[in-house]
Amino acid sequence: MAEKLRVGDNELGKLYTDGKVRKRREWRGVSDTLYDYWRWLGTMSVLAKFIVKPRNIKAMFRYRWMANYLASPMMLDRFSQGLRGEYLRIMHEEYDTVFKDIGLLLDKVFRGDKRIGNDKKYSDKVVLVDENEMTAVMMGFKTLKGLSRETISTYVPVLLNQHSMEHYIDVAQLQGLAPDVCPMPEAEAGISIDDDAPILGKCAVQCNTTCDGSLLSNGVISRRLINVDGIPVFQLAAPLRHREDDVQDYAAGEIKNAIAFIEEHTGEKWDWDYYFECAKRVNYATECRQEWLEMNRTDYPQVFGGNLALYTETNYMAICGKVVDFEKADRKITELARRAYDKKLKMVPQYRHRAIIWGVQSHYYFDFLVWLVNCWGIVPLTDMLSMVSTRKLVTEDTPENRETAYYDMAWLTENMIMRNRTHGGYKVLLDELWEYVEQFNADMVILWEHQSCKALNGMHGQFEEKAREKGIPLVWVGHDLFDPRIVSRQGVRDQINNFLRTVMNEEPIDPSLENLPDEKSW
Amino acid sequence: MKLIGKIILKVFLAVFALFAVTFTVYFFNLDMKATSLLEPLFIKHYDSMERKYYL
Repeated sequence: MAEKLRVGDNELGKLYTDGKVRKRREWRGVSDTLYDYWRWLGTMSVLAKFIVKPRNIKAMFRYRWMANYLASPMMLDRFSQGLRGEYLRIMHEEYDTVFKDIGLLLDKVFRGDKRIGNDKKYSDKVVLVDENEMTAVMMGFKTLKGLSRETISTYVPVLLNQHSMEHYIDVAQLQGLAPDVCPMPEAEAGISIDDDAPILGKCAVQCNTTCDGSLLSNGVISRRLINVDGIPVFQLAAPLRHREDDVQDYAAGEIKNAIAFIEEHTGEKWDWDYYFECAKRVNYATECRQEWLEMNRTDYPQVFGGNLALYTETNYMAICGKVVDFEKADRKITELARRAYDKKLKMVPQYRHRAIIWGVQSHYYFDFLVWLVNCWGIVPLTDMLSMVSTRKLVTEDTPENRETAYYDMAWLTENMIMRNRTHGGYKVLLDELWEYVEQFNADMVILWEHQSCKALNGMHGQFEEKAREKGIPLVWVGHDLFDPRIVSRQGVRDQINNFLRTVMNEEPIDPSLENLPDEKSW
Repeated sequence: MKLIGKIILKVFLAVFALFAVTFTVYFFNLDMKATSLLEPLFIKHYDSMERKYYL
């Protein structure tokens, strides 16, 4: 019997060219194409509002990483590939919200930036935070802006354009930084060395986030901030053994110290009303995420793959209850997911495997999750970076709860994305993976092997041993996080293609996606 | 009545023309094709800027 096809384009690989962009956009049938077109108009209006401000144009000519924002609409196309109906709508709710928030972040940074807007009064209300850091310590500062320069200069550009960070990685290495360090913090350091980071803020808070690479780049960046820009930096040293009870008092103490540092340098006072308001939104986001994950344990997963990963990262870590728009998006996504679940919908005509994605994913190929389901019918039920804290924060303002709140913020900071798995022992990285395999009824594990990540690579053998013991097929997918020159996107895909063809003896659902000429693509 | 009909027709034609143009840009990816031509110009500009390294 012929397989049921999705409405519109079914051979998605035919849209690719060997240049930067695709031949045309996808035909998704009349209603979904018109919906996508309507959302594209929204994207264009966000871009137009951004471009009309002279200071943003000035920034475009000042910062090399800004050129990558030319590729913004294409990123939305990549993440919506093959999606129809509720899945397309969920994707747009998420990514359009993130896109708008990034536009606002850029605008705020350039307003305070000494070289661009030079609004000193505004800059004095800014506290710089790491991109790779929970922003929980900003949940009680309503009048301050916790802004991350690294989000707009490093993290987002590589999602937009796979080659965006190569220049900065090279700069860092030319200045003697080790080439085997994680290219993400290395690129962040490269931007600071290359004098390409905006200059603003009254003070900054850095965190001992995920790894040796993060500590290295924090050192380079903080030295520049303190010695050249005159911006004092607080080092928030969260415990690495984050599941142990005996470290929690110290962790809460570090949060108190960070808050005291911000109060001292900005003159602002911690606002408990605002904190508990944000805490309620964090709890709501957690409830929604838990409901999505609950659906993903069934035969009809709804918010998964590309629709789960990037949104969770943004909402959990960078937003952390501070932006009302994300609460609205959470509500809409949940409604759409419930509707699709009730109708027993599937994202693609055929699901072949239920996979847990583990490890640190490739940023230059984040839409790989979309490719997995479109090309091979592999459903990425959840991923390591989406399995974050589900602890409910206290939300009622009482003297006891104020004290507990410090512990909640500490817990969030210790359990920031990635860090909650790459540190804390083999239980959080190894054992819990196999617990999730059972809970989600998965029949496959796809393990990202980020070649510069020492924290994960050390456990390679233990993952394999456990997979053999459990009888679960495990696929290693090597990559270099921010540097596609080490492993290309096709290099990433080939590892899956070879495994599915040779070990599983399967043929792709969409063969046009198996080999793609996207080496030069954004 | 005739005047109102003409106005409605003109508004309809204008909206339709706007739709036709923007939908063509959208569907044939002309926005991305145009911006992809801009990128090398920006890169050339960034490469020509004087830089001082701070380590």
